[in-house]
Amino acid sequence: MDWGNLLTVDLVRSGVRLGTPVILAALGGTICNRAGVLNLALEGMMLLGSFVGILAAFFLHSTYLGVLVAGLSGGLLGAVFALVYLRYRVDLIVLAIAINLFIAEMTVFFMRTFLGDVGTWSDPSIQQLPDISIPLIDRIPEFGRLLSGYNAIVYFSWFAAVGMYFLLFHTKFGRHVRAVGENQAAAETAGISVQRVQTFALVISGFLCAFGGAFLSVGHLTLFTRNMSNGRGWIAVTAALFGQNHPFWVFLTGAFFGFTDAFGIRLQTTTNIPPALVQFLPQVFTLLALILVAARGKIREAVARRAFRSRARQERATHEAEQMSGA
Amino acid sequence: MDAETKERLIRSLMVPILAIISGLLVASIFVLIAGVNPLVAYGELFQAGFSCASLTHCNLFTTLQLGTPLILTGLSAVVAFRSGLFSLGQEGQLLLGGMMAAWLGYAVHLPPVVHTLFAMTAAMLVGGIYGWFPGVLRVKLGVNEIISTIVLNNIAILFVRYLINFPLRADQSTTAYSPLIDQTARMLPFEPGSKWGPGFIIAILFVIAVTIYLFRTRPGYEERMSGQAPFFARFGGVPSEGAAIRGMFFSGAISGMAGAIQALGVHYRMLDGFSAGLGFDGLTAAILGQVHPVGTALVALFFAGVRQGAQVGLQFSAHVPRELGGGIIALMIVFVAADQLYLANIHRVSAWVGRIRGRRTAEERA
Repeated sequence: MDWGNLLTVDLVRSGVRLGTPVILAALGGTICNRAGVLNLALEGMMLLGSFVGILAAFFLHSTYLGVLVAGLSGGLLGAVFALVYLRYRVDLIVLAIAINLFIAEMTVFFMRTFLGDVGTWSDPSIQQLPDISIPLIDRIPEFGRLLSGYNAIVYFSWFAAVGMYFLLFHTKFGRHVRAVGENQAAAETAGISVQRVQTFALVISGFLCAFGGAFLSVGHLTLFTRNMSNGRGWIAVTAALFGQNHPFWVFLTGAFFGFTDAFGIRLQTTTNIPPALVQFLPQVFTLLALILVAARGKIREAVARRAFRSRARQERATHEAEQMSGA
Repeated sequence: MDAETKERLIRSLMVPILAIISGLLVASIFVLIAGVNPLVAYGELFQAGFSCASLTHCNLFTTLQLGTPLILTGLSAVVAFRSGLFSLGQEGQLLLGGMMAAWLGYAVHLPPVVHTLFAMTAAMLVGGIYGWFPGVLRVKLGVNEIISTIVLNNIAILFVRYLINFPLRADQSTTAYSPLIDQTARMLPFEPGSKWGPGFIIAILFVIAVTIYLFRTRPGYEERMSGQAPFFARFGGVPSEGAAIRGMFFSGAISGMAGAIQALGVHYRMLDGFSAGLGFDGLTAAILGQVHPVGTALVALFFAGVRQGAQVGLQFSAHVPRELGGGIIALMIVFVAADQLYLANIHRVSAWVGRIRGRRTAEERA
């Protein structure tokens, strides 16, 4: 097999593109996990972004406005999620399942009702989000092509990762988010409004997911198909966990998932190795990581317990020795 | 009727009924958007979902067939939830079970009934192991079962997609599927007009078996105790860890059975889009059915009827896209889960009625 032919600049570029929606949604999942609200509705939020993004781009005659409206719709969905969860105490998982189902079905409902077509919708007037070359960097041979010439959402996903890092670790709000996630009762006692923190986390998460979704419908392609997110939201859930809810690692994990996707497609066209095999590797890695993290915790616990016992035994021995000498 | 039974009755009957009504009310906004009278649309929906014109054109049979896998994935969720583990793994277990049955359906050759039973047993075993694994991870290592079952679902989906696209692919058509299973492995429908067949009987038997298991046997009691009150259970000498793992194994096996029924009685093969959300629909049926086997089975059939009615009644007769059916189900899930919304109001109304009655008797006395 010719490996040089496989690992081309184009492969990296398509990996970056395929990774973008997963990275954005996974960052959304990260802030929710940090705030102690497991958000399994990433998939639905993404799909809403895809749908609203292309519709808004069509009606407003501007792709950038379309993406922005998609983001706002995602934020709104996050707010609804927060309202129903915090006010009516609906179970998080049940609510997420309902939201995913509702959006998967109702996007098709609206497509059928208003757009006529059954499976896919597109319109020639919709423009794809243009690629932007960064001046200076695009002049660097080969390397420049890796960093430049993507559309705005791809760059946004890079800034989002850095921004999320600063938000979580270098702002007051970020401290509050982490405090709520680690110990809700303690955070509340310290005067932090748990409701407000979790609402913001869900709104930001919805915003990011919808951006990722809009990337699919107006950034990567210019069409909407039923169930366009196609499981990427669930992949993002695992990416956030695999990256240990740290923006930096989450970004790398999302990019890794994108590369395995691109690599799978590439393998399919150049060799006869099935792409699904490459695609499920990251999932297996995630499972292994979950097991390893849990096992590490268990081992640490066992080590600590043994150390505690031996120290207690030692103390008892010295105590007894003192008593003996005293007597 | 004392206060406690009244409370329980309200919870288990009034909340689902009010949730169904609220779901339909909210969904009627969307029916109006589509430009159709909601009463007409719902009339068509329930007519098409739950009626029977003749033996050969019976919508109810199709509803029962569509409900069969949902009953089983719902039961699977009930068994897992009762043992205290929130397993979302039904989808993956169903897919692997179905894949196993579909493969054994053509890879081995056995006499008629034996072939079916053999494929079913293997499917249950595969599903069971796929449920047992996250159970062990949870109990022994503390790996969150919600997360691990989601990852396992992803793995199963990708794995089955790989199998039917490559090693087990029947031919090079546009959609991928495995070869047709042997005649000896097939479960034939009761009526040629629908696919309603022996699978439904199996599902009903499972409802009875799970009810007896959970509420009338010692292992079932242990499972419920370790689910409801793990510390109490351990204090009382119940091996709660073993009970939870056993529950996860049974849960997986039931989902595997659902896959086997779909493979042997409906599709006769494994194909892309084999499940289409059967796992999550069953899971929500379990939640709506108050995590009780009988309630879950009823809700599963109701869901199937709504889907069938949406497809035939809404789409063909009322010209409302059939996806509204799924939307209605999603709304009902939210309304059931928001039971506090109703409970508070039910209490307020009953208190109000009580006050009026009290005032009237006081007036009569005066």
